[in-house]
Amino acid sequence: MPSRRFRWLAAKEFRELMASRAFWLLLLMIGPLVGHGFITAVDTYAEASGIAGGPAALGQGLSPLDGILVPTFGAYDLAVTLLFPFVAIRLVAAEKASGAWKLLLQSPASPGAMLLAKGLTLLAGWLVAWLPGLAALVLWKLYGGTLYQPEVLNLLLGHLLRVVLAAGLAVAAGAIANGAASAAIATLGFTVGTWALEFIAAGRGGALQKLASYTPTAALRVFEQGELRLATVLVTVAIGLAGFALAAVWLHPGRTIRYRLIAGAAILLLLTLTGAAASRLRSARDLSENRRNSFSAADESALARIRQPLRVTVFLSPEDPRLMDLDRNILAKLARILPEVEIVHAAHSRTGLFEAGGDRYGEVWYQLAGRKSMTRSTTEPIVLDNLYQLARVPPPVRRESEFPGHPLPATPSGAAVLYYAIWPLAIAIAGWLHLRNWS
Amino acid sequence: MLCKAQGITKRYGPSTVLEAASFTIHEGEVLGLIGPNGAGKTTLFECLAGLLPTDGGTVEFRGAPLPASRRKQALFYLPDGIRPWADQPVHWVLAFFEALYGRPPGEGAALAAAITRDLKLEPLLRSRIGSLSKGEAKRVLLALGLLTPQPLLLLDEPFDGLDFRQTRDVMALLRTVPARGRTLFVSIHQLVDAARMCDRLVLLSRGRVVGVGTLPELRSLAGLAGVDGAGLEEVFLALT
Repeated sequence: MPSRRFRWLAAKEFRELMASRAFWLLLLMIGPLVGHGFITAVDTYAEASGIAGGPAALGQGLSPLDGILVPTFGAYDLAVTLLFPFVAIRLVAAEKASGAWKLLLQSPASPGAMLLAKGLTLLAGWLVAWLPGLAALVLWKLYGGTLYQPEVLNLLLGHLLRVVLAAGLAVAAGAIANGAASAAIATLGFTVGTWALEFIAAGRGGALQKLASYTPTAALRVFEQGELRLATVLVTVAIGLAGFALAAVWLHPGRTIRYRLIAGAAILLLLTLTGAAASRLRSARDLSENRRNSFSAADESALARIRQPLRVTVFLSPEDPRLMDLDRNILAKLARILPEVEIVHAAHSRTGLFEAGGDRYGEVWYQLAGRKSMTRSTTEPIVLDNLYQLARVPPPVRRESEFPGHPLPATPSGAAVLYYAIWPLAIAIAGWLHLRNWS
Repeated sequence: MLCKAQGITKRYGPSTVLEAASFTIHEGEVLGLIGPNGAGKTTLFECLAGLLPTDGGTVEFRGAPLPASRRKQALFYLPDGIRPWADQPVHWVLAFFEALYGRPPGEGAALAAAITRDLKLEPLLRSRIGSLSKGEAKRVLLALGLLTPQPLLLLDEPFDGLDFRQTRDVMALLRTVPARGRTLFVSIHQLVDAARMCDRLVLLSRGRVVGVGTLPELRSLAGLAGVDGAGLEEVFLALT
């Protein structure tokens, strides 16, 4: 049971959030954004399912996770990148600028409790913004669509962690920067920086790619693929908490710059160590209905018999699409199931276009228990059979995928009215009624 | 003695804003801080409150050292020129501040009601802080300061923005505060107000304390003991 003081702090934050024009603007815009994603996704899904007599895609390829959930909730990624930081920054920067923070710091409430109240309020506000997304799930069910609960919850967890991370960064920026505008620029600069990092690190391997796998977009992508990866959860939460810790250190004007720099560096060091330790954790669950992140059950049981370390040397350049196939379809799955996998990227160029014949470009070498073999294939059964041969493990008997797919030639009836008319109108009226006394 | 500041020093780069400021504050008195613009009054208050790091000096409270991290247990500083929670109504901010200090609900509400009455805030209770005039906002801020329980209350320019009548009323109210067990340390721009309001005075000029004491003591210090009608203004000019 939270203390009376904390309840008042939380109430104050909630009132401040409700007085924020940025928050009402976010609510106003999120409906049409989600609606556009949902309506387009349902239409495309229906076309792929053979609506209006068109040719249908193979049923197994039709998964609501890729076809409906990811594009619908993609609007939240956009909102959390471009709209939410302004809401979070205001909650800190306004109290700094108005002098309220000086009063609060002299009260018995600790800065930690004050920032916790802000964090919980931001989460609560974000859950309100989720209403259009949750309505999309209800509509999809009403159309006769299928939802696989574990992958839906996993995706929602990914978006929740995404907002924890964004809140941490925005609160830290609001605490450290001189004003709200500077904080907003810093937050957007960070986002653009992570995009650049992903672009530069694409397919490079090594520490840079490891780092790039924890950018907000990359971390969310893991959940969008139906995977629950412990390392991603821990690193994302750690970044979010580090942001709040930095804010707690930086917001006290009574501390010297030297103290703040040392404490800030200690927090960043702790974050780096946590990230490094977490990135070594291999625990992951494939929560996708079509088990896209796993080998077949027969293959997994056969691979479980391989206990020796595997070394894979890849002669494919970072921009070669075959490397992406190999990474996603083979290497990532192997890394989860085998006890030790070392991957070496040995190509010399970025594109592979100008590699000499003697550079062995295109080869992938597998080394296990002192034996080596090479294949140029990135196809799952061929690579696995090659591994079984190296490990002297009999290959299993494979069956067809058990995932039937969920084709649905539905039309998004009622969605346009809900997202483009009812939601904006309801928010506009609620916002006007709420803010009219404060304008 | 309630509080003793010894050698409080604050520098910004090469410029020294406070230079070894030392003085004592007696229990139950109203101590005035006098100085021209830029003398370092606000800086001194923020250093005492632990809201600004110092480059030297110590603070003792009732004979024991009081590090910056524990100042909020002993003193509360009400800054000048702030406008907190501009979107919230006055009654809510008062209730929030009272709840923040964790008084029992009945006792806190009674105190808030008394302060609201004393500062004539009833007509403003439903107004947003951001919509108040300078003088109204100052009275609300004073109410917040009076709601706090710390034994020592530091008020920065409490009469700034108030008209003559309001200044007189607030001054009368503040004079009753020591009787309720609190000590006031008040920075006042108007020397006439300071002379009427304060038991003792700290004169600050260019970051240095140039005199501490009652008006007669300061007259003596300034060599004006025998001068008829020598007020605080003459004393201040003689000492700086």
